[in-house]
Amino acid sequence: MGQMAPPPLFIERMTRLKTAVACGTPDRVPLSLVMDLFAARIMGVKFSDFASDVDVAGRTMLAALEKLGDVDSLQFATYAPDVLGMLWLAPMKIPGRELPEDSQWQMDEQVRIQPEDYDRILEMGWSPWFGEYIGKHLGYAAAAGAALQEAGPRWAMEYMKKGYVIFSPMTIDHPFEHLAGGRTVKEFTLDLFKMPDKVQAVLDVMMAEKREQALHTVRAVGPMGYLVGSWRTAPEFLSPKLWDRFVWPYMKELVEIVAEEGGTPVLHYDANWDREIERLKELPARRCVLELDGKTDIFRAKEILAGHMCILGDVPPALLTLGTVEEVRAYCRRLLTEVGPDGFIMAMGCALPPDAKFENVKAMVDSVQG
Amino acid sequence: MTPSPLAQAVGDLDEQTAVALVEEKLAKGEAALGILEELQAGMNIVGERFESGEYYLSELIYAADIFKKAGAPLQEELKSATQASYGTLVLGTVKNDIHDFGKDIVATVMSSNGIKVVDLGVNVEHQAFVDAIKEHQPELVGMSCLLTTVFEDMKEAIRTIEAAGLRDQVKVLIGGGPVDEATREFVGADYYCKTAQDGVAVAKQILGVK
Repeated sequence: MGQMAPPPLFIERMTRLKTAVACGTPDRVPLSLVMDLFAARIMGVKFSDFASDVDVAGRTMLAALEKLGDVDSLQFATYAPDVLGMLWLAPMKIPGRELPEDSQWQMDEQVRIQPEDYDRILEMGWSPWFGEYIGKHLGYAAAAGAALQEAGPRWAMEYMKKGYVIFSPMTIDHPFEHLAGGRTVKEFTLDLFKMPDKVQAVLDVMMAEKREQALHTVRAVGPMGYLVGSWRTAPEFLSPKLWDRFVWPYMKELVEIVAEEGGTPVLHYDANWDREIERLKELPARRCVLELDGKTDIFRAKEILAGHMCILGDVPPALLTLGTVEEVRAYCRRLLTEVGPDGFIMAMGCALPPDAKFENVKAMVDSVQG
Repeated sequence: MTPSPLAQAVGDLDEQTAVALVEEKLAKGEAALGILEELQAGMNIVGERFESGEYYLSELIYAADIFKKAGAPLQEELKSATQASYGTLVLGTVKNDIHDFGKDIVATVMSSNGIKVVDLGVNVEHQAFVDAIKEHQPELVGMSCLLTTVFEDMKEAIRTIEAAGLRDQVKVLIGGGPVDEATREFVGADYYCKTAQDGVAVAKQILGVK
């Protein structure tokens, strides 16, 4: 694919985002969205078609952006929900395949990792074990991963031509998320109490590979946003003793690797992180983006992290679905003044829900125009 | 009041001691119901520590597991006891949502706090809540979801209970990732529970448990 010079609108938006990431004050607060089935719904595309074809997904999300107005960026250029199986080691149920055509995809979480698998991972190493696991449980996920690898850069180029920035298309996964997903949260939590040393040894084996993978990925792909997410690793779920041992050291190291190699770690932190917001000061200053989903107190987070870390978020999904335009406007105004205008990117919490009201999302998009 | 050594062991998440103390008490011929009450007192300590910020969801899960394990030898004798639970909760993830993470944790934590749980599973039809209320006569109905797209289903499930003339018999508790107070109002539930422990506190309040 030949290199094309980015259009001026793309450069303008990229500059706006970069200024915010560095905790500066851009010409206006930038906006970044994650949308999947919301795009399908507002463009009249069947959920089953969107979920099963990366090109339909890319095309639909691009059209939805144009319909919404002046949006600076989208976090992913295209989408294949099956790929989430690679993160949580659980297959997805997909509309038109396992679910009715116009329903939302969902994860089929069951106990698939048994305690004896810990011993096997320690003996075999992570990748060989994971290869076997993919063969048994994650056929669709592996195929989706390959499809995204091919289609992602192609669609990022299409977005760039129209001036949109693809903000954080790559992911770096915490090993804890894999095990908690494949083992289920309940069983994995019990393992943390009943066989902590073994779990830690497994996490260390996984981390040895994750470390190398992260390094090579960022070096190969270059300076863009890398989503280093947290779902089951949120402090809300784990006491400080467990979190300090099984979550934070790995999280911190992965974030540091991405930043050192020139990437922008995008800390997609779902659930409540209030307890550990102070800890984020340990991460590289003015290099990361903290992405909150509405469950963490974003206003308090700003007070603590002002000047140290850009914050992205967090119009709550339920507000976008159930609230009124005036309620959305009022919440966005508060975000713009209390979390912005410096070091802030306006966004929804986590992702736009498929059933968000169009006028509510539009109100959020328009709010940054002043 | 100073907790008994068994209650203290559960509260301190000391699995080995809790299991050994139950065995010891049974060997001495103590009644299962009395031992169960001590285990539940232990879960109260766990709840208090959760409220104070010392314990988190991880400790709730482990405490419930200790409760289940230590209480296992009591089950046979408790079958004939009439006062083994404070009340009944019919629980399920609503129609069109198959997530069971939150719902399962609520079931575990409620059970270990003396509340009998009738778990209807995930993707529960609206009518199944009605049928379960008729069959089990619960005081409480718990509904969970992880998707905003099923708020309508939650609302419809509650409306179906109402249409069956059963709404006044039960209090409806809701929870789950995207759920908040506005959702409670929208679906017409009685209580929004932010955490599993919130659910226990609300359930105990409704059932008049001190």
